[in-house]
Amino acid sequence: MSTALGRRPAAAGRLAAVRAAPLAVTLGLALLALAGLCLGTPFVGPQDLLAAPDSIAHVVVWELRVPRVLIGMMGGAAIGTAGLLLQESLRNPLAVPEMIGVSTGAALAVSVCVVWALPVPFAVYPLVGLLGAAFGGFVTLVVARTARTAGGVLLVGAAVSTAIQALLLAVMATADRLQYDMLFRYLVGSLSGLMWEQTGRVLPWFAAAVPLVALCVPALGLLRLGDDAAAALGSRVDRARLGVLAVSALLIGCVTGPCGPIAWVGFLAPVLARRLRPRADARVWLPWSAALGALVTLAADLAARLAFAPVETPLGAWTALAGVLAGAVLLRRQTSA
Amino acid sequence: MTVTTRRTAPGGTGVAAPARTGRVLAMAALLASVAVAHLLASGQPAGAIAGLLDGTASGLHEQIVWQLGLPRLLTALLTGAALAVAGYVLQATLRNPLAAPEFSGVNPGAVLGILAGFTLGVVPADSAAGALAAALAGGAVGGGITWLFAARRDPAHLVVYGLLGSALLGGMTTMLLAYQPSRFGNALRWLIGSVEGRVWEHLAFASWWILGGIAVAWACSALLAVLAPSDDHAASLGLHPGLGRAIALTVAISLTAGAASLSGAIAFVGLVTPHAARRLGGGVMTAAVAGAVALAGADTLAQLAGHLLNGTHRLGVPTGVITALAGAAVLIRLGRSQ
Repeated sequence: MSTALGRRPAAAGRLAAVRAAPLAVTLGLALLALAGLCLGTPFVGPQDLLAAPDSIAHVVVWELRVPRVLIGMMGGAAIGTAGLLLQESLRNPLAVPEMIGVSTGAALAVSVCVVWALPVPFAVYPLVGLLGAAFGGFVTLVVARTARTAGGVLLVGAAVSTAIQALLLAVMATADRLQYDMLFRYLVGSLSGLMWEQTGRVLPWFAAAVPLVALCVPALGLLRLGDDAAAALGSRVDRARLGVLAVSALLIGCVTGPCGPIAWVGFLAPVLARRLRPRADARVWLPWSAALGALVTLAADLAARLAFAPVETPLGAWTALAGVLAGAVLLRRQTSA
Repeated sequence: MTVTTRRTAPGGTGVAAPARTGRVLAMAALLASVAVAHLLASGQPAGAIAGLLDGTASGLHEQIVWQLGLPRLLTALLTGAALAVAGYVLQATLRNPLAAPEFSGVNPGAVLGILAGFTLGVVPADSAAGALAAALAGGAVGGGITWLFAARRDPAHLVVYGLLGSALLGGMTTMLLAYQPSRFGNALRWLIGSVEGRVWEHLAFASWWILGGIAVAWACSALLAVLAPSDDHAASLGLHPGLGRAIALTVAISLTAGAASLSGAIAFVGLVTPHAARRLGGGVMTAAVAGAVALAGADTLAQLAGHLLNGTHRLGVPTGVITALAGAAVLIRLGRSQ
């Protein structure tokens, strides 16, 4: 009796936490977006966000900060979603977007353009990144077609990713000192210098990806059962897995084109989503990882902008730090439990 | 991520004496031919290499071979041998076929140590002993982080934590580079791994360090053989498993740090060559020769590729790129066979 009594408040507390979580995440996103719009040099008070169209504050907020916050939010959501798709379809928590050659492919394409001074206008670099991402994802898909198990696909993805990374470093070794700033972004990821032009170019791709992600959900439920069970239920496992892989490649490519690889968000967001809703399935986790991915990315971008101001640190370094620390804590708890 | 090719214990394989002599001869011949190929691939005339045999370096070409070609060859051989032995020791001690210097936080830690030492000005940029000390400290810290993550657990789990620890150290390296992006060019050499540009002064200390480490590892062959099957097996034979593992890991860390202080982060040699050595039925020494041959061969290819690109590369083609590509091919085969 006493144990039942003792358990009830804890259960009620957990229920309250579960109910409050959507509110808390929405509030957090709104606060971070507001902070992203207001903080920095010059500081713009919330009441001045809608100032007269010809003031400096208006230009800074609407031409620089709004696109940046927008792309950070959407990019984080896309990477979080892609991470969940990969982890569920390959049934491995270490299947992160960096592991399937998409982000490295984008980085390689852009650095080839920069280093070998190909006649490509600066504004087209995101498009080049998108093409490179498609190329990296395509290579992985072609090679992975021959792997039969989820573990095999993961190994092949890691191998392709490593090979492209090696080529990337080889190209970078030939670069000039002056080109490093540009290249560095594609090695670690950053949201600096994004304006409406790049944002407008990426938006249609995001819009196209949303229905595709919705199409993936039934396949995820089947792949989660394991290869044998899914095949027994009449699912063509290889084809389903490749389809999910292709959709996640598209999502990652959309982000890597303009911002470079935003490391570890694709690992962190799904893992956090699973901890928030331990008993749910992929259908529930999908919006959660998108929201949490956006949250993590916005927070990390704020840190990247403000931590060592006026110097801006790359966003990817912060997300990597957060992702690895969280991963270590979670894994530790898992093994000790 | 399981690999089924888990070979038997290292060390005593009980090969008959004539077969062993034949194997030693074959290994020596292989080593010599790779060395010759490496020297020839540098693009200097063969006469200059033969001319060195009289003991003096006279003339421009002989000087180039003596001052640049030979140190580069030795760097490749020593780095390859050190990484292979370190990987061999790690795989036997941690009982995991995927254990390797780059997957256990030791190699990324050593690179981070070197870069931090240079960037923060703790060690002078051109000091061989300073680089070795920084690599040792970083490697010990990297291995220590992995060890802390995985403390008191199954050694087989160490690799997952090693991957995480390596990623953490990679993130820290990125932060360090982001702090001073203008130094990125100097850091690139250590990030990719390259045996180019080493001269006799760099080798003077590191060569003794690496050769000593390999000798210690060879002397520990029996210990590795006892430790490899299981902790209970080691304890029943009178070896304290924790102590044995500590000794073996110290040797592995010192060897990896020595290799990193010469050539930076060379990937996959420490992962793949121990498997080759075990498949040949050999022990520490076979692993050392296999690693030396593999890296010298990779560097030969790198030199040839550099000639093809006709010297447009500021750094040439870094050797680490060749080993990473070869390692990727091995991983793809592994993934397909699963």
